Amino acid sequence: MNALRRIRALIVKEVTHLGRDRRTLAVVLAMPLLQMILFAYAISFDVKNVSTVIIDTDHTPASAAYVDSYASSDFFTVVGTADSLADVDRIFDRNQARIAVVVPSGFGRTLADGGQAVVAVYLDGSEPTAARVGQAFTTALNQVYGQRVTIEWADTQGLDVTSAGQLEPRVRTWYNPDKSSSDFLIPGLIVVIIMVVAVQQTAVSLVREREQGTDEQLAISPLKGWELMIGKLAPWTLLAFAELVAITLVGRWLFDLPLRGSVGVLALGAALFVFCSLGLGLVISALAPTLESANMLGLLLSLLPGFILSGFAFPLSSIPEWLQVVSYLLPARFMVTISRAVFLKGAGFEQVWPELAALAAYAVIVIAVAVLLNARRRR
Amino acid sequence: MTTASVAAEPAATNAALEADGLSRRFGDVLAVDGVDLRIQPGAVFGLLGPDGAGKSTLIRMLATVLRPSAGDARVHGCSVTRQPGRVTPRIGYMSQRFALYPDLSVEENIEFFATLRGVPATGRRERMLALLRGMGLDDFLDRQAGRLSGGMKQKLFLAVTLMHAPDVLLLDEPTTGVDPVSRREFWRILAGLHRQGTTVLVATPYMDEAERCTDVAFLDGGRVRHRGSPAEIKALVPGVLFEVRASDPRAALAALRSLPGLLAVHLYGDVVRVLCESDAPHAVGVRLAEAGLDGQVRRTPVDMETAFAFLAELGRGGDSSGSATGGKAS
Repeated sequence: MNALRRIRALIVKEVTHLGRDRRTLAVVLAMPLLQMILFAYAISFDVKNVSTVIIDTDHTPASAAYVDSYASSDFFTVVGTADSLADVDRIFDRNQARIAVVVPSGFGRTLADGGQAVVAVYLDGSEPTAARVGQAFTTALNQVYGQRVTIEWADTQGLDVTSAGQLEPRVRTWYNPDKSSSDFLIPGLIVVIIMVVAVQQTAVSLVREREQGTDEQLAISPLKGWELMIGKLAPWTLLAFAELVAITLVGRWLFDLPLRGSVGVLALGAALFVFCSLGLGLVISALAPTLESANMLGLLLSLLPGFILSGFAFPLSSIPEWLQVVSYLLPARFMVTISRAVFLKGAGFEQVWPELAALAAYAVIVIAVAVLLNARRRR
Repeated sequence: MTTASVAAEPAATNAALEADGLSRRFGDVLAVDGVDLRIQPGAVFGLLGPDGAGKSTLIRMLATVLRPSAGDARVHGCSVTRQPGRVTPRIGYMSQRFALYPDLSVEENIEFFATLRGVPATGRRERMLALLRGMGLDDFLDRQAGRLSGGMKQKLFLAVTLMHAPDVLLLDEPTTGVDPVSRREFWRILAGLHRQGTTVLVATPYMDEAERCTDVAFLDGGRVRHRGSPAEIKALVPGVLFEVRASDPRAALAALRSLPGLLAVHLYGDVVRVLCESDAPHAVGVRLAEAGLDGQVRRTPVDMETAFAFLAELGRGGDSSGSATGGKAS
């Protein structure tokens, strides 16, 4: 009863602090939305209309047909032709094209003879994402084209290829059929933004009590350590949750983000994740000697891992193994998995319970550590 | 160490505050070094001493916010190390630094800490208004604490620590950096608390404030060097004190260092204060004349400031004067 009164007084105080601090309030409320809009528009891994330059030294109907297959594809935009490889260098340097396709002379004749014709494809590797995607597209295009050529050649030879039972691969992308990067990014971005705000704000909150000397006044009151933690966490939990809802809604309206799975599971995951982040902030708060260091540590521990170790932007399988191990020490990776599964795959509890369990365990441990560290700090 | 009235002290249980061999070490520094104290209920006990003497460390241990390295202390019989939960409801603690929320208003600060301290909601507002009225802060209920003047801040801080009606007040330099008028007002409030029977332990670097205490202890290097009532402390100073007003005080100071029967000599602004073994103002005049200086020599009573300056010097100055102070108890 008395504990409840004390916790309520603490919550009222925290909310009053926030209400008086307009700048922090603006940062906390507006930044996540701004970040999301910026990121979702600015970071785009969509690759379409890759500018392509063609060098056709064969000049046969066969080579013309081949070149035409690029022009008619959505993935490539043929921006021009060149005469020699030296021109390609110049064109790449001026960023006029990212891909150069060289059709050697003899291309048509080799095909007509039933031989294997070779074309060279040059990729500008200075932009790796575009290069990788461009490579995939050209490979696919050449496969399909090659098949068509095979069929045509068989036809002229009087062979019945359809009876030979040709295999035709059909590649489909599930969950995100357009491979739209905003669909891929936003569920992860939500997680990262919440983490940055939650960790940062709680990181400074206990340090501020210490810097103001009010921690001593709190220490000589009957307020218990866990009451202090709850009083500090509760307002930020609510705020982080409100932000989560806001970002989700903006994501749906502005970027047509699908929400296919269970909202309840998403909310549960988010609640656990918010507790983890706040607990992490409290741990920083207990360790950091000054307000500045708490700020820096908060940023360092939330922003960098949020971006690199959460799988939000880069697949976790592509980072070094030891970093993958480190990524398990932060709650973001679990939540990114949950978020994507729920938003895109329509996942429910059965699919993401391991991640939920991991978050719950993480929350309990990190808040316990925060209480212990703070109790030790009090002496 | 000089202890004025150890033997006269009554049984331990009656004391409001007691310390036994209380010590605190910070790394290599022994900030408080085996302090024994007994403070009677209702005393206004002044803790004096230069910066770094260990005053804050001592008070923080008594307030249970700092754990002693050795020894123990009791507040009305409850140990600060073993029963801090029974100590804290009885104490009010003002840290040296203003420790309220600058962005919260006067009322919000009082309300918040009163709620934490478990002050009953009924009558809480009346108590707050009465306290603030007594301090002349009742017109500033909505003012943010950070926007109050230095003196007002300290009064508000005191009001916050008084809301739960503590028996023992621990005040760490509450008037440092406060203007003289506010200082006087602050002490007027303390006098009122004293009349109501509150025990006050107040650290201060101001010797004029020491005169207002019922008892004082002089702390230096983490040890209590002298303690007693202000009159007892002043009586510890041996010999006779003269004030010399000379046209060239520095030359007078230099000349008087070789005065026969000299115990100590100090320069206070334009005035040289000379402590002599015997009441011989003419000897001082003669020494000045020998040095080709003229000046007025006047006998003067020992005040607290002079007392501590001389006691500190005599303490450092070797055993010859040490025995003189040691024998002079109450």
